[in-house]
Amino acid sequence: MKSSILAMSVIAATGLAAPAFADKLDDIISSGTLRCAVVLDFPPMGSRDESNTPIGFDVDYCNDLAAALGVEAEIVETTFPERIPALMSGRVDVAVASTSDTLERAKTVGFSIPYYAFENAVVANEGVEMADWEGMRGKTVGATAGTYEAIWLEEKVAEWGEGSFRPYQNQADVFLALSQGQLDATVSTVEVAEANVASGNFPGIKIVDKAPMVPDYVALITLREEYGLINYMNLFINQQVRTGRYDELYEKWVGEGEPADLTVQGVYR
Amino acid sequence: MFNYNFRWAQALNSLPRMLEGALVTLEVALLSMVIGIAIAILLTLFRLSGSRILGAIAATWVEIARNTPALFQIYMVHFGLGGFGIHLSPYLSLLIGIAFNNAGYLSENFRGALKGIPDTQTRSARSLGMTPLQAFRHVVMPQMLRISFLPMTNQMVWAILMTSLGTVVAMNTDLYGVTSDLNARTFRTFELFAIAAVIFYLITKTVTLSARLLAARLFRY
Repeated sequence: MKSSILAMSVIAATGLAAPAFADKLDDIISSGTLRCAVVLDFPPMGSRDESNTPIGFDVDYCNDLAAALGVEAEIVETTFPERIPALMSGRVDVAVASTSDTLERAKTVGFSIPYYAFENAVVANEGVEMADWEGMRGKTVGATAGTYEAIWLEEKVAEWGEGSFRPYQNQADVFLALSQGQLDATVSTVEVAEANVASGNFPGIKIVDKAPMVPDYVALITLREEYGLINYMNLFINQQVRTGRYDELYEKWVGEGEPADLTVQGVYR
Repeated sequence: MFNYNFRWAQALNSLPRMLEGALVTLEVALLSMVIGIAIAILLTLFRLSGSRILGAIAATWVEIARNTPALFQIYMVHFGLGGFGIHLSPYLSLLIGIAFNNAGYLSENFRGALKGIPDTQTRSARSLGMTPLQAFRHVVMPQMLRISFLPMTNQMVWAILMTSLGTVVAMNTDLYGVTSDLNARTFRTFELFAIAAVIFYLITKTVTLSARLLAARLFRY
């Protein structure tokens, strides 16, 4: 009698405890849906086509990751600042949203290995004399709030001790302000800068120079403690490069040329 | 399902910067009230003036200020005027946007207050030899401000909360701007915004309480 009660309770305890071992990776697979936070005003990484369907490099990466997991992808649009609340509140499983992997942020969220790297360009209003990036000194400059380049630029302005820095809420407002002459210059990824100069939506702007910062490596993010999922994402990124999918998507969304090298010479990840 | 571990240390380190931001928030709100009240009195005079043009100006102002989002008003001050080559700093854009909104609402408050002041008072003042303006300035306005004092406090609270809209015009020195900047750096979203919410609450509570004390002193019968 006693032993049967013990056996029952052991079974019950195991049964109850089992779900606690299911991590996010299991949850995604069993739910059949991978929900990705993607920023959709950040072409060519994320945007919407004429029929309002999300498109872009990040959207395709989310789809690829979902296909690898054998589940459906669900794109959840967020702004840059909303990525983390969306993740923390369980509205999304991962963010495929060009998130720069800073050490400060890694205290809060879990980063995969880099899946893309941006170089940044200095874009100026045509009315402003600017020979190279150092011409930004003392000027009114701005960038999209919460991005790697915004953090870099704000620190530069503080270091120069002159001029002012303005963080606008989205990429479109930055270029609107630049086009109106409210900003003298901005720093944005080369991809975004070229797309915006070419589009003609923002007359009176020109690309001046490359910004002299360390390439902006961006990674997939999820909750900090989800090692299983982070491991899976690392292998996924490795496979994307290995199979040539990385090159293929680069050509599809960015254009001809070599995509950025995702390894850093002389050090392990 | 809320999958988040609160870690306060990183966020609490930023408290001094956030308190500095709170001062800027209070400064913008106070200035916007001073400007707003001045314009609202002017708009009220416009309405009382009997002039059709002045009346129309006041009516248009109130209609736009009260029936469009404050966010839109602030955005238009910055990017709308920017389109015409008038470039205002984020600070000024926010201040003017909120002052515009304040003026519209306060002018309506004043109109309501005026209804509670019998017309006979103006006529008596006029018969004492005061000009219409003097009658307004010495007899009507003090009562109007007294009646609408508590609604004005509401507007002040609203102005404080509206400063958080400054991020759309790249304002980054006020409480909300500082908080979102810190959030972008550390991703400690919930801790930072919880602290900001508490600071906002304390500011507005202090304002309403001191306004009540002030009212008790000023308006003793």
